Amino acid sequence: MADERRPGDMPLVSDDVSGLKLVSRSTYVKEAALKNLFLLCAFVAVAGVGLIFVFVGYRGWPIFSEVGLWKFLLGTEWLPTSGLFGILPLFVGSIVVTLGALLLGTPLAVGAAVFLSEIAPPKVRAIVRPAIELLAGVPSVVYGFFGLLILRPIVAQLTGGLGFGPLTAWIILAIMIVPTIATLTEDALRSIPDGVREASYAMGATTWQTISRVLLPAAKIGIVDAVVLGMGRAIGETMAVLMVVGNAPGFFRGAGAPISTLTSQIVMDMPYASGMHRTALFGMAIILFLISMGLVFTVRVLSRMREEPS
Amino acid sequence: MLVALSGCSGETSPQNKLIVTGSTTIQPIAEVAAEEFHAAHPLDDVLVSGVGSSAGIENVSSGTSDIGTSSREINDEELKLGLVDSPIAYDAIAVIVNPSNPVSSLSKAQIKQIFQGKITNWSDVGGPDLAIGLVNRDEASGTREAFDKIVLDKERFDPTAVILPGTGQVRSVVAQEPRAIGYISLGFVTDDVKALAIDGIEPSEATVVSGTYPVQRVLHLFTKGAPTGLAKEFIDFVLSAKVQDSVVRDAGFIPIGAKEAHGG
Repeated sequence: MADERRPGDMPLVSDDVSGLKLVSRSTYVKEAALKNLFLLCAFVAVAGVGLIFVFVGYRGWPIFSEVGLWKFLLGTEWLPTSGLFGILPLFVGSIVVTLGALLLGTPLAVGAAVFLSEIAPPKVRAIVRPAIELLAGVPSVVYGFFGLLILRPIVAQLTGGLGFGPLTAWIILAIMIVPTIATLTEDALRSIPDGVREASYAMGATTWQTISRVLLPAAKIGIVDAVVLGMGRAIGETMAVLMVVGNAPGFFRGAGAPISTLTSQIVMDMPYASGMHRTALFGMAIILFLISMGLVFTVRVLSRMREEPS
Repeated sequence: MLVALSGCSGETSPQNKLIVTGSTTIQPIAEVAAEEFHAAHPLDDVLVSGVGSSAGIENVSSGTSDIGTSSREINDEELKLGLVDSPIAYDAIAVIVNPSNPVSSLSKAQIKQIFQGKITNWSDVGGPDLAIGLVNRDEASGTREAFDKIVLDKERFDPTAVILPGTGQVRSVVAQEPRAIGYISLGFVTDDVKALAIDGIEPSEATVVSGTYPVQRVLHLFTKGAPTGLAKEFIDFVLSAKVQDSVVRDAGFIPIGAKEAHGG
């Protein structure tokens, strides 16, 4: 926006349309049209989020006013056909699945990022990096299928159940969040000036000492940032989780016992839910919306900390 | 809605509309039959909507639908409204286990206790010492609804059971896991799994149509008074050999005409 310019800024063509009087009228019109087009693009994105929030809020609100916030959030039984709308087990399920995936996936992803940024020769990097990025492009239903057919029987052997449950979901989600965390962590490591590495080596530090004592602490905020975004991916994942988690809407009872999550339960119930049950699903969507708002806000705060180190 | 639909089809705009509402279990039959009926009779349009058996019966009674589909029998009160029943198919449910499981017959009461989580080990019903792995269906499933009603008497399923959203998934898990037990429509049983005899009766088309296999129900089309005109044409179409042998069987049900074939 033109009014945000500070006196010292370089004059920019696109910044001030009135400064274009010397160019032809068609150029002027084109510039103005493009400026408004981009404004429209930004507006559509914001309006989309706003509309979704208003719609979900409007449809989900009655669950708070009629069933009650605490009965909804802290209710321990999800039995919608009997009028019991307690989402606590589902909420716990989402948290359990997400935290387990982060515990497994973060070391894997950070390790991969360190390898790519600090250790891998350029030729190896040229193969490994696209491979990790490719993981992000695999549709989640394919991960779910893999989990159902390959992982589930192995987990069944290990835990003595049917193999549906948090453990299978942890492994699948851990693989799914690797690209998110690895690429962002790698960016954070690469943004550390080479002078820092040179200083560390000059003082006699080994590669491992440089990585563990200098580089990782320096990239700390960037890594936390990456983990938070990975968390957003894990908590919002639906299809892959639905296929392997067992979908039993009870409390967490162990790594091999079926549970359910907020997202997978919404998908399971959507085809037949009506009345207050449907409202409850929108209420769950509000909770998910608030969680992801919280995560985005956290990332913003972390990014600001990174830009202005105290 | 109706106006908008007919408006789109332009010059070949259908002139007659038949409204069919009711059971979600019958929905797959009704939808495909409606499409094929429309293809054969371009001037007639069949609008199908799955709203549940009770709503279907209510709609046909009040006249808002021409045909009501139902996966349950009508009660005495509804019988007084002058509804005429056209049975179209049998829906039988097989209780399946892994082929390696030595158990091959259970009583209905045992199955009920297993699915309620009261019996938790195969050794309690004559099998090996192995924890039972329950596989249940999601609540949107017509198969679950029928199983719940016929076997569990509408009592609660074990809430810790694995819930899978499709027949194929239930079958593939049971086929892989020696401890698993699940239920699917009889029409979808393959050699990968073993269908249990219930109360000593093997599930088969013959025992279903003779009425001895206990886990079954009949799918109905109801009309107010004897079917006439377009409603009669559509019901005759659903009962035709073509629809019964393809559409009804593809949906996992047993054709109603199987009764004659098995000498019932």
